[in-house]
Amino acid sequence: MAPTLPLADVQILDFMWVMAGPAATRILADYGATVIRIESPTRVDTARTLQPFHDNTAGPDSSGLFGNCNAGKFGISLDLGNPRSREVVHDLLQWAEVVTESFSPKAMRAWGYDYESLRKLKPDIIMLSTCLMGQNGPLSRIAGFGNMAAAISGFHNLTGWPDRPPAGPFGAYTDYVSPRFTAMAILAALDHHRRTGQGQYIDQSQAEASLHFLAPAILDYTANGRIQGRVGNSDREYAPHGVYPAAGEDRWIAIVCETDAQWRGLCTVINRRDLAGDPRLATARGRRDNAAEIDAAISSWTTTMGAGAAEAHLQSRGVPAYQVQNSAQAARDPQMAHRAHFVEVNHSTLGKTIVEGPRAHLSRTPARLQGAGPSLGEHNQYVLEKILGYGEERITGLAAAGVFG
Amino acid sequence: MQMLSPYRVLDLTTERGLLCGQVLGDLGADVIKVEPPGGAPARRLGPFLNDEAHPDRSLYWWAYNRNKRSVTLDIDRPEGRALLRRMANSADFLIESFNPGEMAARGLGYEDLAALNPAVVYVSISAFGQDGPKATYADADLIIMAAGGPLMLTGDDDRPPVRLSVPQAYLHASADAAVGALAAHHESVRSGRGQRVDVAAQESVAMATQSWVLAAPLGSVEIRRMSGGVKIGELNIPLVWPARDGYIALTFLFGTALGVFTRKLMHYICERGLCDQATRDKDWIAFGDQLASGAEPISEFERVVEIVRSFTRSHTKAELLQFALERGFLMTPITTIEEVVKSPQLESRGYWQSVEHPELGRSIRYPGPFAKFSATPIAYRHRPPTVGEHNREVYCGELGLSAAELAGLAEKGIV
Repeated sequence: MAPTLPLADVQILDFMWVMAGPAATRILADYGATVIRIESPTRVDTARTLQPFHDNTAGPDSSGLFGNCNAGKFGISLDLGNPRSREVVHDLLQWAEVVTESFSPKAMRAWGYDYESLRKLKPDIIMLSTCLMGQNGPLSRIAGFGNMAAAISGFHNLTGWPDRPPAGPFGAYTDYVSPRFTAMAILAALDHHRRTGQGQYIDQSQAEASLHFLAPAILDYTANGRIQGRVGNSDREYAPHGVYPAAGEDRWIAIVCETDAQWRGLCTVINRRDLAGDPRLATARGRRDNAAEIDAAISSWTTTMGAGAAEAHLQSRGVPAYQVQNSAQAARDPQMAHRAHFVEVNHSTLGKTIVEGPRAHLSRTPARLQGAGPSLGEHNQYVLEKILGYGEERITGLAAAGVFG
Repeated sequence: MQMLSPYRVLDLTTERGLLCGQVLGDLGADVIKVEPPGGAPARRLGPFLNDEAHPDRSLYWWAYNRNKRSVTLDIDRPEGRALLRRMANSADFLIESFNPGEMAARGLGYEDLAALNPAVVYVSISAFGQDGPKATYADADLIIMAAGGPLMLTGDDDRPPVRLSVPQAYLHASADAAVGALAAHHESVRSGRGQRVDVAAQESVAMATQSWVLAAPLGSVEIRRMSGGVKIGELNIPLVWPARDGYIALTFLFGTALGVFTRKLMHYICERGLCDQATRDKDWIAFGDQLASGAEPISEFERVVEIVRSFTRSHTKAELLQFALERGFLMTPITTIEEVVKSPQLESRGYWQSVEHPELGRSIRYPGPFAKFSATPIAYRHRPPTVGEHNREVYCGELGLSAAELAGLAEKGIV
């Protein structure tokens, strides 16, 4: 028998949508939490409309992003604007230890599901709200996506080339950072609840959480008054430190030397022992001062090589190097395969599809995917009947009232 | 009382794993940073206060060692290892980020410590994981971003892919590690048994592809990088737009969810006389599908993009942000770190924390709590410690060493 999952006793009522929120409860579901996700039957979850698509075809269930963020959750469709949905929400609230939501502020209040209202119904509930800028303040009304929180938090300005406009990090960057903080906040609040019986409200600003990923640059300003800018791929201390062209169209290899030994290894691999003996380049400082010359020497070698072959040669000499991988290359990467990063799951309408595996590998009670991302309302019957214990007549009545859309 | 105040964490991480212990400390755990005598190598990483390279002036160190106490200990010597084992007896978590196998080679691997303390949650953070064909690869932030997928998607299409200028890879891994550690801890409370938590930064940074790392396995087209945007198929989609005094991020996309925002924006642009009504009234929900099917030519997309660009270019970042607030457009200004620190939003939420550094006679403003907890707010209880600041407190006060024993260890260079 498979071991009990570590969070098998955790029950979460999840109102979250799009990416930053659902990505957090996905982690908890991997470790065994029962997550019941409420989805609007009328207002489509933006994530369902976003690529990449299964079989490259748009469709209500085909978003790889949605599937990846919601695998293993129970999905129920509930029209929160329908007055009769309240009885279902109230019963789910009594079932849950944790309620999560990621609407822009005020949406939950409008439905009467803000923390003050919920705690009257269940005094020890843990409720977490996550949104771009936090529940209050002049910008709290800003709705949108993680690329907007990243832009206004400094990430975009710090990504790209100094002689060009900012490139910005790929996509909705704070939606990648903040879910981990969301998940750990919930786990810590659960531990406190177990010991004290006390619930609480957690207000998470995705921008505020994500700024911890820029903390050294922030302290450079608050302590030194220095405003860091984007510096391409260069490093403040080490050279070479860059991305070099490999043979083939748009193929690249990243190479870094942080130690003198790595530098000598690099010179050997690219057949430039003369550089290894050059006293100007003997120190990290000297290599930084002559980075352009070194980059040219490396590029003239890498352009003749396949990126994978260059990686293997350099790593065999202990030089940090990796081909710059797109999805196809990552999917063939033996290390990613060894980690079982790409996991096949059975989807109710797509058949076999793929999601990413859990990140933290636990040795004794490893995470186990409970299923694919749910179709809209896929688990209505299961949740109402098996979890809430509703009879058939009651379920039919709610359906007739349009509660499920 | 803090959320994790009953628990003790031994933090043996190098610069790869410092954030993990810090967030556990923020959540209330007693985190003891175990450093080699002379200070952890991460203290040699810049930037430094006033550019003065000194182990107690590293801003990198400060960024990720708040809410920890520091002891020094040479775990490469038998007496040091013995002392670490003694500390591990009462630890709930141990976090390390050495190269795979290095802790086991010292007799301090998971099995070694679990034999003494079966409940310990032992967290290992590494570039590629504890085993596998590339587990022993040499690594760096840029290398991991290349291996995990986000690098390929970032930057200008006429130049090499580019990373975020502030290293990110191990922060993703350390945050994942903290979540894994707390999940394992949740279980150990019930079972009395800990376990090993193994996090690979390569997998963690794949999160920063917004699931595009799945494109090939799903049978989807790949997405490609473009200056200030992305390319999907034939479409060059700008995400960074010019303002009169800088740049903004604006999502200008289509479909059932995003087309609604585009429709609002185009109505406003039309009101301002920057486009005709026919352009305004395009089917912004279906526009993406129409471009894909060829019903609308790519040149039409490009024409509309130019109209939007002429709108954004004619306003300041502040004006555009005001429009976004009033009308619900998907746009925000692209800001410098200085603008972030001076943000009225962060100010009004009381985000910044002024942390006293008595050793310097000044206080420094730090990024504030990563979330606001109503019952158990995160407190910055300890500023980042100086090297071995808590040796006496921990070794004598808590572990029961006599002053003479500690002096003996210090003499031998163990602490």
